[in-house]
Amino acid sequence: MIIEALIAVTFLAALVVFVAPNAAAAKLAAALSVLPVVGSLWMWAAYDASGNALLGGEIAFETDVVWLTAGGLDLHWFVGVDGISLPLVVLTTVLTTLAIVSAWTPISNRESQFYGLVLLMEANLLGVFTALDFFAWFVFWEAVLVPMYFLIGVWGGPNRRYAAIKFFVYTNIASLVMFIGFIALVFGLGDSVTSLRLPEIAQALRAGELGGFAGLDAATLKTVAFVAVFIGFAVKVPVAPLHTWLPDAHVEAPTPVSVLLAGVLLKMGTYALLRFNFTMMPDVATALVVPIAGIAVISVIYGAMLALAQEDLKRIVAYSSVSSMGYVILGLVAYTTYGVGGATFQMIAHGLISGLMFMAVGVIYNTTHTRMVGDMSGIADRMPVTAGIFVAGAFGYMGLPLMAGFAGEFFIFKGSFASTVHSAMPLFTAAAMFGIVIVAGYLLFAMQRTLFGPFSFDDDYDVTTAPFHDVAPLAVLLLLTIVLGVAPDLFFGMIQEAVNPILTGGGL
Amino acid sequence: MVGIFDFTPAIVLLPFVSFLIALAVGDHLPKGGALAGITATAGSLALAIGTVLAVAGGRTYDATLYTWAEGLEAVNLTFGVLIDPLSALMLLIVTLVAFLVHVFSLGYMNDEDETGLPRYYAGLGLFTASMLGFVVADNLLMAFMFFELVGLCSYLLIGFHFREPGPPSAAKKAFLVTRFGDYFFLVGVVAVFGTFGTAAFVGSESFPALAEAALRGETSVNTFGFAPQTWFTIVGLLVLGGVIGKSAQYPLHTWLPDAMEGPTPVSALIHAATMVAAGVYLVARMYGFYAISPTALAIIAFVGGFTALFAATMGLVKREIKQVLAYSTISQYGYMMLALGGGGYVAATFHLMTHAFFKALLFLGAGSVIIAMHHNEDMWDMGGLRSKMPVTYYTFLSGSLALAGIFPFAGFWSKDEVLYETLLHGLDGDPILLAAYAMGLLAVFFTGLYTFRMVFLTFHGDPRSGTAEDPHGVRWNVKFPLVVLGVLAAVAGFVNMVPVKKVTGLKIDFLHKWLEHGYAGLTVEHYGELLHDFPHYGSAGLELSPLGPGAVSLGLALAGAVVAHRLYNVPEPVEHTDRLGEIKTVLYNNYYQDEYQVWIANGLTRSIARAANKFDGGVVDGVVNGVSSVSLFSGSRIRRIQTGVVSNYAVLLTLGLTALILAFGLAGGWFV
Amino acid sequence: MVPPEYYLLLSAAVFCIGLFGILTRRNALLFLMSVELMLNAANINLVAFSYVWGNITGQTFGLFTMALAAAEVAVGIGIILVLYRSFDGVDVTDATTMRW
Repeated sequence: MIIEALIAVTFLAALVVFVAPNAAAAKLAAALSVLPVVGSLWMWAAYDASGNALLGGEIAFETDVVWLTAGGLDLHWFVGVDGISLPLVVLTTVLTTLAIVSAWTPISNRESQFYGLVLLMEANLLGVFTALDFFAWFVFWEAVLVPMYFLIGVWGGPNRRYAAIKFFVYTNIASLVMFIGFIALVFGLGDSVTSLRLPEIAQALRAGELGGFAGLDAATLKTVAFVAVFIGFAVKVPVAPLHTWLPDAHVEAPTPVSVLLAGVLLKMGTYALLRFNFTMMPDVATALVVPIAGIAVISVIYGAMLALAQEDLKRIVAYSSVSSMGYVILGLVAYTTYGVGGATFQMIAHGLISGLMFMAVGVIYNTTHTRMVGDMSGIADRMPVTAGIFVAGAFGYMGLPLMAGFAGEFFIFKGSFASTVHSAMPLFTAAAMFGIVIVAGYLLFAMQRTLFGPFSFDDDYDVTTAPFHDVAPLAVLLLLTIVLGVAPDLFFGMIQEAVNPILTGGGL
Repeated sequence: MVGIFDFTPAIVLLPFVSFLIALAVGDHLPKGGALAGITATAGSLALAIGTVLAVAGGRTYDATLYTWAEGLEAVNLTFGVLIDPLSALMLLIVTLVAFLVHVFSLGYMNDEDETGLPRYYAGLGLFTASMLGFVVADNLLMAFMFFELVGLCSYLLIGFHFREPGPPSAAKKAFLVTRFGDYFFLVGVVAVFGTFGTAAFVGSESFPALAEAALRGETSVNTFGFAPQTWFTIVGLLVLGGVIGKSAQYPLHTWLPDAMEGPTPVSALIHAATMVAAGVYLVARMYGFYAISPTALAIIAFVGGFTALFAATMGLVKREIKQVLAYSTISQYGYMMLALGGGGYVAATFHLMTHAFFKALLFLGAGSVIIAMHHNEDMWDMGGLRSKMPVTYYTFLSGSLALAGIFPFAGFWSKDEVLYETLLHGLDGDPILLAAYAMGLLAVFFTGLYTFRMVFLTFHGDPRSGTAEDPHGVRWNVKFPLVVLGVLAAVAGFVNMVPVKKVTGLKIDFLHKWLEHGYAGLTVEHYGELLHDFPHYGSAGLELSPLGPGAVSLGLALAGAVVAHRLYNVPEPVEHTDRLGEIKTVLYNNYYQDEYQVWIANGLTRSIARAANKFDGGVVDGVVNGVSSVSLFSGSRIRRIQTGVVSNYAVLLTLGLTALILAFGLAGGWFV
Repeated sequence: MVPPEYYLLLSAAVFCIGLFGILTRRNALLFLMSVELMLNAANINLVAFSYVWGNITGQTFGLFTMALAAAEVAVGIGIILVLYRSFDGVDVTDATTMRW
């Protein structure tokens, strides 16, 4: 019941904050958002299950009741976590609290609505990462978009309406494509499944019980459905060339929203890819390894090259997210413990580090009111602590050892280089790894121009040290990044237990 | 029982603690955290001495201390400590130099009222800790991780004066160029894991041992479809990428002269004991893996020999004292690479050691000169400092004699052995080594020339500026490290007098003996076997007297020194290099190596990035926006049907109904 | 007994008159009347078939439709009143402000 409690408490917190007066909303939201953090950390501490929730492994904190009966397919309220989803739950709660604190400075109108929407989104995100029934999962999945739409569209920058609508329509169409693909699979399974519970579907698909549907034979149906579902999730990840909503959304979104967008919402895509495509249809994934690894490499290199061309700090971090997510795809398709496990770990690592980077950019923006690299110089002179954390975060993004990013990336590289799914995997890996040089290039250039050099700033704003509540979330994230980098086993152990069952059977 | 080896982690952790102290409370400490750093490095030095004594007693140590990532049905990734003669020696060098650099910093930073001292000492502490972690690493992954941390620290320290435009740029370049090399290193690490399933340095299940066994046909490993020999060469060269970057070998040497933007004690640390040494140390650490690949060895030797000569020529024309030293560093590390490629494992280690002492000395001496000159580094503004700062002069002279390779200073013995081993294996092994040897030999002459040009311009003749006439004094904290290193630069060569041994038969090649014990796979004998079996170095059993080659290299070094004496040891020296004309311009601009690399990094890559950005905005996002434009456009046209006039809707309804009825009728066959 | 064809013809004629009115008139009141004609055409059908098949359901529905028509007239007149107030007339082709 802890999961229901977690989701319910977050929903209630959202309601309370909605009706609270604006002046009190910020502190109240932060205080209330600590409850899910405590809950998720308790779950992490109490977690003792093993195996993959979809493949017959133990499911921790499980609830499974029939919710609706609809024509031979029961809809269940079925939630639970395993080693893949639990770290993401923890990431969601922690990052939301930090994002709320980081919003204190920049958000100064309609606070109660803002924080209410953030908490509402958190509740839905928790649902996405814990639901194990397709119907419930899909409701949460779509419901995440709504608060996000308003958060960008109301509190965003000058071009917010364009960005918000682009984000909403793009990801919604993608969900539609995914939905069609998945439902086709369910129909193809016919009588071999009696509900939309994901474990049932996953096991039926891996057992090869798929029949034909709509004039397609089983093999073709599976491939078509795989591609549809993949495209649907790839938009969310995002994978090049389906990424163009992301920079717009990030640039227009207020900083705390960017933090959640990059830190958690993108992980929905990779999480779903892992759960649906790579867990349910490994045979198709390995048959399509060349195109999948190819777009992973393209995402890494192309995203990094785009980041190199940007002048806006937020755009730089936004495009580098595209690049980092490419690593995750590469790890997933490798089908090795370190590859898939590393990809899952990288989701957490990237969530922390990209959150850190967006927050750091936001803290600088709060004082300078600009994000353009060319507009400022020598910021470190006036904001030494922020600059120091920025540098540390940037090195984390570059994959500095003993920070979480290196662990994720190295696991992925190690796993995908030694992958046996295709003889060209070492080449794909080596190509993707070149991203670590380009990422160093653009972050170092950006830091050199903004943080260092003689202090100069053209505008009237008084560039001075950031308030404590701006810097504190940064410090917490940096600390978490280093802790996970030094001791990746805090999550990596449970991740591996959940990942290993995926790697055998099911046509592999 | 608690032995000395239980404290080896403390060698690494003490400077790390000083980093934390300086970072957290450095502002409130006297001397800005310097004392914590000095105490920590002194403690590390003491422990390192204890470790060396224990190793001298024939003991070695290898233990896994921490499992970084525990693989489930996959390999564990671990941190461990490997103490053998090589790493113990290196520990001693690093802690000694780090300790002296910390002391020297009191004079160079604190006495000069620099700001940001806690940041400086935090950087030094982390730098030392990272390097020590790298030295004791017992597997390639851990080595890589600390290798990268060393890179981070170099970034932080080179860019210490971040309020000026130069240092941040130099720091960025240093990190980026070495990162480019580390990319290959990381691919190499991953490939080692993919090939052998382990990255351990030592033991029968270590990757060099497995590679050797695979070549001897005793075991088989996954070589990704290549012949084992080819694949091991590829992997070795990938790892070598990191070495070339960090040890500033051609073509990735360009960061190092720029790195002179950092504070001088940092330069000393980077060049003598930490970052640059890390590359060569890595090759020595996994020498068993390189010794089985003739191609890799030949490439290492050739790159080394070429770099030695190439950098030495550029050192001839520089105006700033630190620039000359920077190019001499590149050149000297070229010698070490030459030795490693030429099968001279001991020679390389020997030169690594002597170089650490005399190069730290020269940098600290240069730092002393720079303090005296009020931070003017131009040698043409100096002159005549000999009488005003005798301690600096004599210690600097000791270091210069060692650098130039003049008998009997440390550099002579080590450089001589490097060249001797290369020549021997060139004659009796791989002829390509002879080309590398020739370049190395020629570089000896240039080394003597630029070294003594520097000495004479700085200390001899008449003062050429007001500050040189009345230099700023230096205190004990500058002189003490200079004296210690000055003595070492003079005598460190005596630990391994191979020519004397060969002539007299005395067993005084202590370093050889030192490196002979330890783990079976990591001894000099084992490397000798490998070199004999795979690249066939010394397979003909050729005997070559060391006296002839030694005399040649000493002669060349002396010739260089004499030329420098004739040209520059005069009261009013002139820029003789101007007579080189166009060649000087090329040399002064470093053969335009920077230009093309900056062009690749900035011009070419940025152009591609901008083109990609245009493509992204125009084509990829254009398609997205195009789809929405098409929808909007068609919507705006189709909605014209909605006239607002009810009668029109009624007409449409009626027509629609009629059409529907007609359609049903046609389909139902009513009109047949 | 009158054959059902006659009812159907009557119904079709009434429906067509109503339709013609809707298509040609611009006065909203005439619109409402025409709609009433069409509704009653449908009513005729309901009642006629109810009579033919001897099933009372059709007549019940006829009654329903009448009640519905009454309600519809109430709403319709209301709309027309608003239309008159807003556009100074009851010409349906004037009220086009809500289009695209």
